[in-house]
Amino acid sequence: MGLLYGLIAAGLALIFGLMDVVNFAHGEFLMIAMYATFFLFAFFAIDPLLAAPLVAAALFVFGAVVYLLIVRFAMRAKANAGMVQIFSTFGLAIVMRGLAQFFFTPDYRSVTNSWVGGKTISIAGIYLPEPQLIGALVAIVAFVALYFFINRTDFGRALEATREDAGAVALVGIDKNRVFALGWGLGAALVGLAGAIMAIFFYVYPDVGASFALIAYVTVALGGFGSVFGAFAAGILVGLVEATTALILPPSLKSVGIYAVYLLVVFIRPRGLFGSM
Amino acid sequence: MDTQFAQRRRRDLIVALCLAVIAALAPLFVKDVYVQNIMVLTLMYAALSQSWNILSGYCGQISLGHALYFGLGAYTTALLFTKFGVLPWFGMLAGGAISAVIAMALGYLCFRLRGHYFVIATIVIAEIALLLFQNWDWAGAALGIDIPMRGDSWLKFQFARSKLPYLYFALTLACIAWLVTWWLEDSKWGYWWRAVKDNPDAAESLGVVVFNSKMGAAAVSAFLVAIGGSFYAQFVSYIDPESVMGFQFSLLMALPAVLGGIGTLWGPALGAVILIPLTELTRSYVGGSGRGVDLIVYGALIVAISLALPKGLVSVFSWRRGAAR
Amino acid sequence: MTISRRNVLLGASAAALVPMMARAQTSEVVIGVLYPFSGASAQMGVDAQKAYETALDIINKKYDFDLPLAKDEGLPGLGGAKIRLVYADHQGDPQKGRAEAERLITQEKVCAIVGTYQSAVAVTVSQTCERYQIPFLSADNSSPSLHTRGLKFFFRAAPHDEMFSKGMFDFFDAMKKKGTKIDTLALFHEDTIFGTDSANAQTKLAKERGYKIVADIKYRANSPSLSAEVQQLKAANADVLMPSSYTTDGILLIKTMSELGYKPSAIVAQAAGFSEKALYDAVGDKLNGVITRGSFSLDLAAKRPMVGKINDMFKEKSGKDLNDNTSREFMALIVIADAINRAKSTDGEKIREALTKTDIPAEQTIMPWKRVKFDETGQNNDADPVLLQYIGGKFVTVFPAQAAVAEAVWPMK
Repeated sequence: MGLLYGLIAAGLALIFGLMDVVNFAHGEFLMIAMYATFFLFAFFAIDPLLAAPLVAAALFVFGAVVYLLIVRFAMRAKANAGMVQIFSTFGLAIVMRGLAQFFFTPDYRSVTNSWVGGKTISIAGIYLPEPQLIGALVAIVAFVALYFFINRTDFGRALEATREDAGAVALVGIDKNRVFALGWGLGAALVGLAGAIMAIFFYVYPDVGASFALIAYVTVALGGFGSVFGAFAAGILVGLVEATTALILPPSLKSVGIYAVYLLVVFIRPRGLFGSM
Repeated sequence: MDTQFAQRRRRDLIVALCLAVIAALAPLFVKDVYVQNIMVLTLMYAALSQSWNILSGYCGQISLGHALYFGLGAYTTALLFTKFGVLPWFGMLAGGAISAVIAMALGYLCFRLRGHYFVIATIVIAEIALLLFQNWDWAGAALGIDIPMRGDSWLKFQFARSKLPYLYFALTLACIAWLVTWWLEDSKWGYWWRAVKDNPDAAESLGVVVFNSKMGAAAVSAFLVAIGGSFYAQFVSYIDPESVMGFQFSLLMALPAVLGGIGTLWGPALGAVILIPLTELTRSYVGGSGRGVDLIVYGALIVAISLALPKGLVSVFSWRRGAAR
Repeated sequence: MTISRRNVLLGASAAALVPMMARAQTSEVVIGVLYPFSGASAQMGVDAQKAYETALDIINKKYDFDLPLAKDEGLPGLGGAKIRLVYADHQGDPQKGRAEAERLITQEKVCAIVGTYQSAVAVTVSQTCERYQIPFLSADNSSPSLHTRGLKFFFRAAPHDEMFSKGMFDFFDAMKKKGTKIDTLALFHEDTIFGTDSANAQTKLAKERGYKIVADIKYRANSPSLSAEVQQLKAANADVLMPSSYTTDGILLIKTMSELGYKPSAIVAQAAGFSEKALYDAVGDKLNGVITRGSFSLDLAAKRPMVGKINDMFKEKSGKDLNDNTSREFMALIVIADAINRAKSTDGEKIREALTKTDIPAEQTIMPWKRVKFDETGQNNDADPVLLQYIGGKFVTVFPAQAAVAEAVWPMK
């Protein structure tokens, strides 16, 4: 589970951390991805695992469009840029929920059977559900790819540089909007991957994103903004903390453990575990 | 410059007085309970948002966890009344005091955090409190607290049908919150905060004094919000953790200020006057469809306003532009 | 002149506030219907709306059913007046429920309110109705704390969680007599008013009747993950697992249980999610043999053909069979309309009086109840719950004996 939190958080980390923009509609991105997976399954009988790349691609486009239509302007705001970002994306989240309810009805849906759904591998008495296992594998691959992408490719360096100093990169001929639109697309695509895998073992309805959004924010902040590796590590930590808290306290309090760890970490290290900003 | 400033402040005070009188007289003409209900909520959110604005707007410490103080106020009043028979008026003050102390303790820990780290810390703290109350059996846990109704009484601050006492209380609270803000704008705290916001380096040189003034702002802000929470408990006469401490409350408190103009004197009130009736009316007249149309309208409006007017709606009023800095 | 501009603005917003004119009511009776139509439980509101429309159709038009008011057009007691429903959205928030109830009463001039799905909202709505002396008929709130608050205008035709839970324990006692081993129970409930009330009732009954609760797991509603919870359930390995969950967590619970290889010998659920079609669409294959309490059973159609016909009418509107919730909502409107008809008035106090005299025999309902008759707290104590078992893709009534059409399959497969 931790790795999946990590995967959801990774997309957020990319948007949130690398571009220093808050996206309060992140949970709704996840919701859209899960719906997309569900409909591919329901109408075309495409297994969620096959659908994952398709959904990721669709979300890539979606993320880029959202950037170009909304976030671009939010970032340009002269005053209160932080608040404008928070509330324009928050408004977007509400619109997306409303639209989902309008078009998909508020009914609960889920993917009934897939290649891996409900199957379990048991090793020495420890049960490892296949969907989560695959989720973990995808998460690891995605993280490694992302890490290299950001640290080893021109685009990654361009992204970093653009955040640092948009004016200077414009001088060397990098279009800020293009770079950021790609960044948003990439972030959304990661959420798309996560959503496709989530849909195997989770239900979908218009408000589903809310359950995950807060955990994702906390995970990103815990890992430290600007650090993809941080989000990855924090995701694992969050999963572990959640499981341990549920053993000590009543399970309904298990999130308290996650929140407490976050507070503890930032009180000691105000920039999260691996944060650079 | 100075005289201009003094003039502006005098004018603000006169305008506020006029508005307060209009609001106080309005119930003479508006008898409909539903509309009065919207007016009560509007005034309450104006007061809450104004209080939130003190810490988040003027001090720049953006808190999305003010539901904590709101809930503490509501719970203190309701628990003291139902368990110990303490009248809500005292409960209100107790709730305010508790919230102010907690706000300072949390401020001491959190003010070192910057930007998103601070915002998330405030969300998370409120969320922890919500979970604790949800599991605290003595305080009713998820069942909440039902405040028994024993007929109209000013002493117990409960009225079966009449909205007027609530309306005047909410109006008073909104006026107090406004006056505190008005007074702070011209105080030395106000100057420090403006200096710090404009120039973070100035923060270093002012150091300790600014830190203390922020603690003061947190306490005042939490105190007023807690009074609002106490009021809400009496107004609805039933509270449960989700409905007074939920994250949506933190957002609802911040929204009017953000839409109206964060860190401005008039922003929160203006935002509340537009936002709250809109929310209520869309829910009442478009919401029954089950298709989320009300959400689409509401959300789109937030996106549009926050993008088009980053300084908030107050910036539309050209004569106020000097003040909306 | 700045002030005058401000005044113009104020004037404009005041104009926007002017309420819509309350529609004149001549030959119609208006009833308010309060449900969540947006937010996490929006689907419940949408389904409820279909159930009310079905009941409305039967009341306002002529049908050959042995239900109160079915054979007439409208309400004969009020000169054939038709009923009109006004729907309002409370979004699951007690404050909004209160405000909407007030609006329905003062603006829409409703003479009664039915609702509300969430029990927390029912608390404030019933209070408001009490203040305005308008009857509130709780259709589908099952919290037992609702009718013990001394409200005069509160009525509930359906069972509450204590009655439901009692039914379950009666069933356990009966099974034990037949030699089935039932000693230990595991409770699994959400941290809301519904989950807490249900668990409290079950804990009390278990103590009284000598069952051991080996796990009492309270979880956060709409949790992103339930693995830790399920692991504890698995470790406790009770004879019966008793979940009180809504649809979302119900689906996740069953999926997680199958992933972690936990298969209890029986699941006896406090309906809610476990009577929703969405849950069985999602994980029905893993639920063969699950038992849920209910206030409705399609098996009744064999004895009372109108049940089947009404179900068809509902299905045409919603694409679903009537279930625990929608059947109660359907009955609620019939019960309140019957009272208004007998009161021959839309006055709240007169309708209240008529409600206290309500006595609808079992045959004139679509429910497995003995009758509809309210005690002094407004509760119908003759509403017997049934236990249904999900076998081969449909529900079969297994308890109590007089309603059962089959023996319970135990342990579940």
